[in-house]
Amino acid sequence: MELRKTHIYQYHAEHGNVVDFGGYAMPVWYEGIIAEHKAVRDACGIFDTSHMGRVYAEGPDVVKFLDYVDTNDVAALTDGKGVYGVMCKPDGGIVDDLIVYRMSAEKFLVVYNAGNRAKDFAWLQKNTKGFKVKLTDMSDKVGMIAVQGPKAVEMLAKISATDPGAIERFNVAPLKVSGFDCLAARTGYTGEDGFELFILEDPVATPEKSLKVWNDLVAAGAKPCGLGARDSLRLEAGLWLYGNDIDETINPIEAGLKWVVKMKKPSYFNGRRALEGIIEKGVVRTLLGIQLTERGIPRHGYEVYDGEKRIGVVTSGGVAPTLDESIALAYLPPEYKEPGKEIQVKIRVNLVKGKIVKHHPFYDETKYGWKRVKA
Amino acid sequence: MTDGTKVETGLFYTSEHEWAKPDGDIVIIGISDYAQAALHEIVYVEPPKKDAEVTQGGAIGAVESVKAVSDFYSPVTGTVVEVNEALMNNPEKINADPYGEGWIAKIKPNNWAANVAKLMDAEKYKQHITTLKH
Repeated sequence: MELRKTHIYQYHAEHGNVVDFGGYAMPVWYEGIIAEHKAVRDACGIFDTSHMGRVYAEGPDVVKFLDYVDTNDVAALTDGKGVYGVMCKPDGGIVDDLIVYRMSAEKFLVVYNAGNRAKDFAWLQKNTKGFKVKLTDMSDKVGMIAVQGPKAVEMLAKISATDPGAIERFNVAPLKVSGFDCLAARTGYTGEDGFELFILEDPVATPEKSLKVWNDLVAAGAKPCGLGARDSLRLEAGLWLYGNDIDETINPIEAGLKWVVKMKKPSYFNGRRALEGIIEKGVVRTLLGIQLTERGIPRHGYEVYDGEKRIGVVTSGGVAPTLDESIALAYLPPEYKEPGKEIQVKIRVNLVKGKIVKHHPFYDETKYGWKRVKA
Repeated sequence: MTDGTKVETGLFYTSEHEWAKPDGDIVIIGISDYAQAALHEIVYVEPPKKDAEVTQGGAIGAVESVKAVSDFYSPVTGTVVEVNEALMNNPEKINADPYGEGWIAKIKPNNWAANVAKLMDAEKYKQHITTLKH
């Protein structure tokens, strides 16, 4: 099967190590994962995120509709504000995580995972029943580039008509970049300050605008980064990867996402009743962070032990280039949640020692991440 | 990625990209330039244990990059007499010098003649990796 190409494919083919990522031809790295990872923590890196799903939801019932599919409080948003949340099935299992941005009272931009594009659009469409709302899939009509790192504002400012630093965190605003009309959202998936740029009216078949923005960012000094660094950065930040750390068999309460489930919302939303029951009863497993204290690299699927007893499984793991440690996320019984608690990860035939650590994020926020960046 | 891949003559190779080099009565083993390039930045090596008995074709350790784990299969049957301790703190030596400083272990073979009959010489291995390109 021919791989799908994103807006920035031409650059990947010329400069990157391209692989099949969920049916898309995407770069794992250009120069190397570690160098790209460090560029984002220290300065600025850019990522092609044009494979992600982006949909306009419009209509008089759009707020009610989104409040029905999304666990977070969409009605609380004002124009230009966005919020991270999850979509649940009636049993509380997570269909996907997503960000919704309010463009105006009757128009929202909805952004979700690349691997779930078809599933999510169908899910949203199915749930429009009874609401006056129209969905338009913009994924192939709008380019998307993430600009991430403590120098993201400085880098993006070099090629923008107005100051991107004026856009507040989790806000979205129009921005002219390389002379083209874009939307700039102050978000990302690395833990760092930065933006997700939506390059408007730029079809994937002729993506000149997106390629120009990308090349201008490279010329300005931003480092092109592949999916390898994207994964290691989000893991250090303790951010969830759909398919690894969350899926339809996992609910947001056990995933540590209770903060995006807003029971104070007056109306029913998908999964509400089930999640109320789960909160009342308590969870039997919870997502925790692990740092190894012996040598080895924990990976997705490895089992976690407490002595002889198997207590859970690693959902994401790897080396943390910033910390120079081996870290992992794993679902474990809640009684293990105290930092410092000792566990072991089974790596091939060996039980390798580790301990529970805080994981959202794994790093020290006075040294790394968006909170250290003074506006 | 495979353009410019080095295949050293005088070594014997497996289809899984390990190499074996007879040196007196022992055999030095490691992974090929093709394998290190495919893995890219190697960040961890789990070598076999000293004195372990290993079997040709058996998994005896692993070589890991940020993104991937590659099992390491012994190209020879015998006893591990030495492992390359330098790789513990500097696994990137495999990227820099896969046939030299990046060696993984030294094995005292039980029957090298029987093992080598199942390995490829440099010429055959070159052909093998050509078939893997694209």
